[in-house]
Amino acid sequence: MGKSAIEELKLVAAKLAGKVIQNINSTFTGGGVAEILSRMVPLLGQLGVDARWNVIRGDDAFFQVTKKFHNALHGRDERITPKDFAVFQETTQKNIREIELYGDILFIHDPQPVGLITRKKELGKKWIWRCHIDVSHPNEEMWNFVQPFVVQYDAAVFSAPSFSRELPIRQFLISPSIDPLSDKNRDLPQETIDSVLGKYGIPKDKPIITQVSRFDYLKDPVGVIEAFEIAKKSVECRLVLAGGAAADDPESDKVLAEVRERASNNPDIHILLIPPGSDIEINALQSASTIIVQKSLREGFGLTVSEALWKAKPVIASAVGGIPLQVKNKLTGLLSHGIPGTAYALRQLLTNPEYARWLGNNGREHVRHNFLITRHLKDYLLLFLSLEHPEDIIHL
Amino acid sequence: MIQWLIENWLEIAIPVLAFLVTCGIGLWLRRIMYSTLLFWLAKAKWEGTSILITTTRRPFLLWFVLLGIDIAIQVSALPPETKGTTGRAIGSLFVMSLAWVFIVLSERLLRLYLPRVKTPERTIAISINIVRIVIIVIGALVILDIWGVPTTPLLLLILVAVVAAALAFRTAAPNLFAGFQLSATQQIRVGDYIKLETGEEGYVTEMNWNNTRIRALDESTIIIPNSRLLQHTVINYGRPLKKAKEPFHFHSRTHLTELTGLRAKNLRELVDILNKAPETVVYFHTHHFMEEHHYLTPEPANDFAVWVADALGDEVLGEKLASVDTFSFPDLASLRERLVGVIEEHLALGSNSREAMPGQEFYFMKSVSLILPTPYITHDLREFVETLRKVSLGSLYFHMFESRLRLGRGLNDFSVWLQDSLNEPELGQEIARFDPYTYSLEGLRSALIQLIEKRIK
Repeated sequence: MGKSAIEELKLVAAKLAGKVIQNINSTFTGGGVAEILSRMVPLLGQLGVDARWNVIRGDDAFFQVTKKFHNALHGRDERITPKDFAVFQETTQKNIREIELYGDILFIHDPQPVGLITRKKELGKKWIWRCHIDVSHPNEEMWNFVQPFVVQYDAAVFSAPSFSRELPIRQFLISPSIDPLSDKNRDLPQETIDSVLGKYGIPKDKPIITQVSRFDYLKDPVGVIEAFEIAKKSVECRLVLAGGAAADDPESDKVLAEVRERASNNPDIHILLIPPGSDIEINALQSASTIIVQKSLREGFGLTVSEALWKAKPVIASAVGGIPLQVKNKLTGLLSHGIPGTAYALRQLLTNPEYARWLGNNGREHVRHNFLITRHLKDYLLLFLSLEHPEDIIHL
Repeated sequence: MIQWLIENWLEIAIPVLAFLVTCGIGLWLRRIMYSTLLFWLAKAKWEGTSILITTTRRPFLLWFVLLGIDIAIQVSALPPETKGTTGRAIGSLFVMSLAWVFIVLSERLLRLYLPRVKTPERTIAISINIVRIVIIVIGALVILDIWGVPTTPLLLLILVAVVAAALAFRTAAPNLFAGFQLSATQQIRVGDYIKLETGEEGYVTEMNWNNTRIRALDESTIIIPNSRLLQHTVINYGRPLKKAKEPFHFHSRTHLTELTGLRAKNLRELVDILNKAPETVVYFHTHHFMEEHHYLTPEPANDFAVWVADALGDEVLGEKLASVDTFSFPDLASLRERLVGVIEEHLALGSNSREAMPGQEFYFMKSVSLILPTPYITHDLREFVETLRKVSLGSLYFHMFESRLRLGRGLNDFSVWLQDSLNEPELGQEIARFDPYTYSLEGLRSALIQLIEKRIK
């Protein structure tokens, strides 16, 4: 990061002395938000910022309802009933009565605790709503329910410009980040990589193209196979589709079966069902690959792309969700819009290894400067400071 | 008595003659030796010459007098025991006078050299006393040995004392000797700008017998033991350059991106929103690419050019927008006017029907900039260029880009300081002529350093 960059972080953090930042989300474990907060809160502490973390309480019924809300905000077809809204309101009121809101800045993550804002009139303080999901094309009824809460906040934060909405409050763009020291992202010794390849029976005789994603239609694994088969007519290569089945996604088994059938026992296509928590194995598969593909039809931010870029691998990805923030076409990777485009990009990179290496190195530098947790930390510090300074240029 | 003298005149005459001859030789030798010594010492231009001459000239004759007496006694008819005793006495006198000469000589030389390494008076006095004690002890041991007294126990005692003293002063001694060496060689002097291979750098403000102090770029004082200066590689940049009327205080800048909520899906919407958007929006979309990709390319691809080419597929307009030279505009208002003008001209040709696919609209954003002071304050070109090597890219960006255009100063901060405070108008103008948009940020840093180093030389 550089000594001077760390000095600047400390200088900014010092301006928050005496303030308590209270993060509130729905769970301490599981999911991207908990993962981010588990790293971010201690790091803020190391910079001298008093950051704390609390969760709301809810029963199974509440979390079933919020799951439906989550899907509906993503634009998926969900039938939300008046009873669902009632369950949400009731649990929110219970949390409002029970949870202690002690922070000077209340940082509320995602829709589950969004209703806590109703205490703002009574408590004052500064409130920020951090939206980690894509609400650009929500179920309108769902958005109309959430929006009255959101507009009461002092500011909202989104992960990509396309995820935002027109709101009468300040909106900031803070992208997610990766932890370069985690099992998913750290450098692995060659022995570990070889051991994982050996475990899954993947030879190293040809360039390896890999997509790591859940077996979900929206990740288009069949489309990846088709693009691979087109490219393979010109250049020898091998395809790895690695992913897990989600316990809360009944479609994943069906998708996996279709993918296996489409692969038709092709010895150069490897379909791997990776158990949850296998970060080292995912890391090893990506590290062993020549090219990483992320041919999603819809995507949230797609932080897996940054994980691949961090390994300096050339990435071919769809221009959806937050992916274009990470992959700048022909600079830090290649963006594609369909199967023929993906196949063409594969051929281009396989036949031009120098160009592929250049893209991979650029991708790593792009992640170093824009998607590491230290940048995320800096953005949060600036966000907290900007609440007290409405101007565009703040002199410290 | 006279009868005795007549009978033993030879026994008296020979010793007297021997004494006189010895004294004569001594006189003659002194004359020859000292004139030769004076000649060679004058050539060497050693400042201790007069001390050496005045301290040893008279005792030299005294030594020959003693030698003469000793020879006279040895050639006389005196009994052997008397000869032995007088010989020992004369030897003792010789040792005492030699010790006295060494004491005076070392005292005078210490008083000549120690003040040059800023040794406190107390330390000089202690050093002189230590030397005196050493010489006296050695002299005493030699005299005791002359008289046959066993000296081994005493020597052992002295050895133990010396070892104890060496252990006690083991850290100070290397620094003292290093200080002498630095002073003698003048390799580093007060006022020089030095940089050690271990990273410490700054102007030398003081050099004493134990350490050297430097004023670092952040105004702190670094104390370096003298021995370290000899152990590590040191770059000495030499004497200070001219000082600025006002020092340059480096600032840095970091930013947060704010969404305006406005988006455009075609050219008409793009230009309509661009016309009314705050200037901070224009600044963001013409500069953030460089910050995000400063390691990658020096080309200032503004967001409008990229979006028009990629999302609308209009490469002709994309090229026109990319060709707008941001550097040639003194302020954001005129830059916006030009961008709007290029798009309106294109729209007038009738090429305005394309629309971006859903999800690929142009999202208008702006920067919230936080400007913070750094600890680096520079007073001359040397400090300035050394600081340039280490400041963050955010600092470089702030002084070269943000201050010029966004804060409306018209000129980058470096050029302003060089011209107004340091009286370096040519250097200031050269830097002002740099088009920073054609460099990557690290490339810009290197180019600036190179230019300033050339000027310093």
